[in-house]
Amino acid sequence: MAKLPILGLFESADHAADAGDALKAAGVPMTDYDFLTDAPYPEGAFGEREENHRLYIFPFVGALVGLTVGIMLTAMTQMAYPLAQGGKPILSMPPMAVVTYESTMLTAIVFTIIGILFESRLPAFKQGLYDTRITEGYIGVLVNVDEDQLTPTQTLLTQAGAIDVVRKDGGSGA
Amino acid sequence: MAATEAKGHGQHAGMWIYPDAATLSQDISEKSKATSSAFKTALVVTGILFVLAVIGFIARAADDGFDEIGPWGYYNAVFSMIFMVTSGAPLAACAFRFTKSHWRRPLSRVAELFSIVGILNLIMFIPMMIFLPSLDNPAGVVEGQMELRRTIWFEGPIGAPLAWDLLGVAFLVITAIAILWTSAMADMAEARNTATGFKGWLYRRLSGGWYGTKRQWNVQKAGLALLGAFYFMTVVFMHFVFSSDYAQSLIPGWKDSIFPVIYTVTSFQVSLGAILVALFILRRWGGYEGYIGKSTFWSASKVLLGITLLWIYHMFAFFITFWYGRLEIEQNIIQYLISDTYSIVFILNALFSFVLPFAVLVWNPVRRTDWGPALAGLLVVIGGLLFNIRIFVASANAAPGEKLYAFFMEHVPAPVYPDIWDVFMVVGGLGAAVFIYLLSTRILPVLSLWEVKEGTLYQKWGKLFRGEYQILGKPE
Amino acid sequence: MQEGKPLSSKQINRELLLTILNSPKWFFTTISLLGMIVLFAMGAAGIMINQGFGVTGLNRPVMWGFFITNFVFWIGISHAGVMLSAILRLSKAEWRRPATRAAEILTVFSLMTAMTMPLIHTGRPWRTVYWIYTLPFVPYDYARGIWPNIRTPLVWDPSAVYTYLTSSILFVLVALIPDFAVLRDRTTGISHRIYGMLAMGWQGNPRQWKLQVIAGVLLSALILPVFVSVHSIVSWDFGMAVSVKSWHSTIFAPYFVVGAVHSGVSAVAFVLILLRYVYGWQNYIRHEHIDALARLLVVVATGWFYFLVMEIVFGFYGREADEIAVRNFQFMVTPWNIWMMIFVGVTYFLPVGIWLSRSARRNLWIMSLACISVNIGMWLERFLIIVPGLARKQLLTFDWYTYRPSPIEWIIVGGTFAMVTMLMLIVARVAPLIPLYDIKEGEILRTEIKIGRVTVPAVYRED
Repeated sequence: MAKLPILGLFESADHAADAGDALKAAGVPMTDYDFLTDAPYPEGAFGEREENHRLYIFPFVGALVGLTVGIMLTAMTQMAYPLAQGGKPILSMPPMAVVTYESTMLTAIVFTIIGILFESRLPAFKQGLYDTRITEGYIGVLVNVDEDQLTPTQTLLTQAGAIDVVRKDGGSGA
Repeated sequence: MAATEAKGHGQHAGMWIYPDAATLSQDISEKSKATSSAFKTALVVTGILFVLAVIGFIARAADDGFDEIGPWGYYNAVFSMIFMVTSGAPLAACAFRFTKSHWRRPLSRVAELFSIVGILNLIMFIPMMIFLPSLDNPAGVVEGQMELRRTIWFEGPIGAPLAWDLLGVAFLVITAIAILWTSAMADMAEARNTATGFKGWLYRRLSGGWYGTKRQWNVQKAGLALLGAFYFMTVVFMHFVFSSDYAQSLIPGWKDSIFPVIYTVTSFQVSLGAILVALFILRRWGGYEGYIGKSTFWSASKVLLGITLLWIYHMFAFFITFWYGRLEIEQNIIQYLISDTYSIVFILNALFSFVLPFAVLVWNPVRRTDWGPALAGLLVVIGGLLFNIRIFVASANAAPGEKLYAFFMEHVPAPVYPDIWDVFMVVGGLGAAVFIYLLSTRILPVLSLWEVKEGTLYQKWGKLFRGEYQILGKPE
Repeated sequence: MQEGKPLSSKQINRELLLTILNSPKWFFTTISLLGMIVLFAMGAAGIMINQGFGVTGLNRPVMWGFFITNFVFWIGISHAGVMLSAILRLSKAEWRRPATRAAEILTVFSLMTAMTMPLIHTGRPWRTVYWIYTLPFVPYDYARGIWPNIRTPLVWDPSAVYTYLTSSILFVLVALIPDFAVLRDRTTGISHRIYGMLAMGWQGNPRQWKLQVIAGVLLSALILPVFVSVHSIVSWDFGMAVSVKSWHSTIFAPYFVVGAVHSGVSAVAFVLILLRYVYGWQNYIRHEHIDALARLLVVVATGWFYFLVMEIVFGFYGREADEIAVRNFQFMVTPWNIWMMIFVGVTYFLPVGIWLSRSARRNLWIMSLACISVNIGMWLERFLIIVPGLARKQLLTFDWYTYRPSPIEWIIVGGTFAMVTMLMLIVARVAPLIPLYDIKEGEILRTEIKIGRVTVPAVYRED
């Protein structure tokens, strides 16, 4: 059976956390519900699942790529245009360090940005169930449940203190 | 054990500790009195090293006298190494107090106690005044030589450089001890009625009329801030003076405006490194794991990482300017200090001061341990020693005799290897510094009791919805 | 450091999006006025390009004047943003929250403005296409095997500046995603679609927030070394030159960096005061924030002063005739010696004297004066490094001359100030200059500790 989303809106974080507890008690897997907020709450504030990521790999890979490109670029341009200047060797390492450093950092940062977007699963072309009141301070508890569980979940969210419950099928109300 | 167990969740697990203020004083007092066999062994070993240092010094003086600075290069190096630590460490206590960092609390006294070791610097400096070559060329006006060698004293104001140098070193030691005294007064007052013997006498004399009134706390706070600001300016100035007089100005033609800055950065680096090593020993083997949390190591390690990056940055700024300039003297300096004469020492210096500590500190999970930052601290201390050997041995032997008054160092000299007396002086000197530090821990508690107690007022463990977090009062 | 009253999300949205959702009356008038100044400056640049460098005061031996001074000045201002934002994020300073975004955007625009200066200064800006500006590292004539010379600081410089510019833009954009989502939810029509695209489908789930928070710290840590390298490399445009003795100094890199931070942080403090005044953001940019910036500036200024002293002391230390000639010009020849005194006075003694007083730090008029004073001083600093060095460049004294900027140069330099202001105002019209979610996070984490009869402000901390 396909899972459908249902979104409960809460005025206080305490109630949203209560909803989380109730969902857990009702046997809804933690991967099936999420807390949508307009600001970063400390990790674990809602008793939510721990999110793992591999963001830290991105800058390292980026730095390695940038380092390689930087070394090749600076070495090859010097070799390709062998003009001696000020008694410096044709293949001069110290100036290579400068440009290579910049290329390393640039690529590390660009890769990090890519990593942030990738790990955040952005851009999300289909936004899914959402309510604009979330960016007004309401806390959304987004639950994916089997179709036949929509109504019990709605009741559960309402009992936990939801001021409104939004459903994909147009159903709404607390 | 007077402390609760370490708290934190997820990646922050075990980072935070919350000592119990009620039992803290008694617990620390008992720890201070207890003398373990390991401590006794350390005291004996470092005491023997101290004796070796004295033997090395006497033998060097008997062999070479005090006429030339050349044979004293290694002595200068070990003086500078101790000076770097003792001058930089009290500043760490002041700086983190200034930034109101709560994690500094267990670190403050460990850092301040280094100011007692500063007395060793003051004593060691006396012979250094004798063998420092004069600013004036003894031969007078000679063609091809300078009448007055290049120094930061220019035309040589009255007493320069020796009187001012000594005054500076003494002033620094006195200010550092004043910081320690001001900071420790409250702790001494607390124990003055229970401490016996010399300690009791000392506490009663030094804690004066401290009763912990509001006014006294305010004065103490303002006093520490003022002394810290004063000390900071003096330290930076003395690093400039010392590094110029005993290094830069001894190599004819070495004009390097960044060198005093490199010296200061290295000092901050090695002093923080030494503090971390001391903290680790106290936590692992001193029984202070309930008071020195991993959060202190973690936060200090980030500062150490920053300073380590600054070290290589300043070194590169010096190197690239000289490399690019390619004047004869610049090439000679690079060959002498980096690429030729002392190349091995330089490579080791770069490894220990940058490559290895960076490789350790760049990993956040390693920074979150107690051993990671301490290991990096040990590495930078070794790196600092190599830096001092490279710079001060090279400077002392760059231009013997009248060559010192040449316009430029025209030839790159050969390296000077240590003899047995140099080894005695270097190893023994470091041992002597540790010996004095160990003794100082018998006089004052290694933990700043009032600061840790104050911390218990502002650091709590509390709940926010479903999670538990640290609650930090008066955040930065 | 939490003196403000608690704020709700609705109030934060309403007050901080005021500039975007409702244009103030003065907005278009001000933009038009600034636009006209910029156009006027562009016209002056056009005249210069058409007529040649003869219309400027540049002449042998002083071939770097106002343009390069202004270039270094704007690069310096750009250092405030990311430095301030990065250091404060890494140190978890609570008072960073309202200051980061404006600082980062100031970085981007001052960098862009800075780069126009060497372009104009070339006299034939289109020829830089042959260099590495538009197509990085593509040789300008590879049929003849000629490649960019990576051994020159003039190539290091654009490589560093473009790295910094790209990084700063990406940094700002990533941090803007959650705020774009707020705007997406509060707009309609075409604006809604544009903000929707920029928000990339942001929902605000724990994973996205976790990544956003880590991104702030990680990117700060990565950009910080870049920011240090940029001004160092700008300093090496000067420091590598052996022929100008006063420039060839090993301390130039950190000296320039600290100076840049000094001028940049002062500029950010001034911009924040302006924003507070113009947009009525008293709840966000509070006296405590300006006070904290001023205390930071005391340390930065004193660090800068130390580097200045080192630079001057070692200028004399070498006792080399050609360098003494430059120092003599700086310190003994009127009007340069007067400028020198003004420079040190307005960059260090006046502002630091002000910042030592708590009441002065919390008086926004006095703070504005101090911050402007620093920036006048720092502009002068660059001028007094560049021109006297060149004016007394070598022992061949027949070539010694001085420099007097022409009206064309004044107009172009003035135009850059109008350009940065205009661009900042335009951005304020489309994106919040104070990060909404950062302020909201501060509100979530805000708490109190009771000690005896006193209630102390406190925060929840994860680490």
